Amino acid sequence: MDITTVTLNHYIALSVLLFGLGTLGVLVRRNTLLIFMSIELMMNAVNLMLVAFSHYKADLSGQVMVLFIYAVAAGEVAVGLAILIALFRHLKNVDINNFNIMKG
Amino acid sequence: MDWYFWIFAVMALGGGLFTITYKDILPCAMGLLTVFIAMAALYLHLNAPLVAVFQVTIYAGAILVLVLFVVMLLMSPGEKIKKSQVNCSNRFMGAVLTVGLMIFLGIGTKGLSDMIGAKELPEKFGNPGQLGIVLVQKFILHFEVVSVLLLAALVGAIYLAKKRI
Repeated sequence: MDITTVTLNHYIALSVLLFGLGTLGVLVRRNTLLIFMSIELMMNAVNLMLVAFSHYKADLSGQVMVLFIYAVAAGEVAVGLAILIALFRHLKNVDINNFNIMKG
Repeated sequence: MDWYFWIFAVMALGGGLFTITYKDILPCAMGLLTVFIAMAALYLHLNAPLVAVFQVTIYAGAILVLVLFVVMLLMSPGEKIKKSQVNCSNRFMGAVLTVGLMIFLGIGTKGLSDMIGAKELPEKFGNPGQLGIVLVQKFILHFEVVSVLLLAALVGAIYLAKKRI
């Protein structure tokens, strides 16, 4: 079989790679906004996996699930950025190392 | 049309790599935009035109603009992200954990495509009308719950971003 012929495996591999990039961003970067963007990257990887399975399984439920994920992502971004703005008012920066006010 | 997949896969991976490595934050957001556009193109290839349109309008339109707005609100102009305070061992640990996770995911998804096998796509698969029918016939409860969730998120975001909490 020719390896350049695109199959479901290629989409899975791309999705896993993108998810790994997002995880690396969350673990390595210290700027909270960049961590936020990395989470969006991970969510996109999962969406790609859902749409790919929907296509290869000939089942529309996967695409509908992605539409729900969009709604949840919009709510998540709105609340998350509002929390970030509130934190910035208190601490005057967005470095995640300073967000330890709940440390017991 | 295999070149189509490869072009946009490389575009998505490059954009993602740029997003997590570049040290200034606005170009990082542009890298994220590249990823979103490449994803939309891949959705078109996978018979999901409605999802592709929503990808561009919601992610590249609404979410990214919100993120850019907050970036410009919080970062003073010309400010570079400070050299991160984490040391090299922290970075190394992050890389090791990520590689481990990817190996785990790779093992977990191995053989899934053989399990599914090749299915023949029905006529007009994925056009918006059919998607709407599935949405209101099988997922009507989820649809209503999501609307309540969005309302709660709206109220919560306004409350949190007010002057004093």
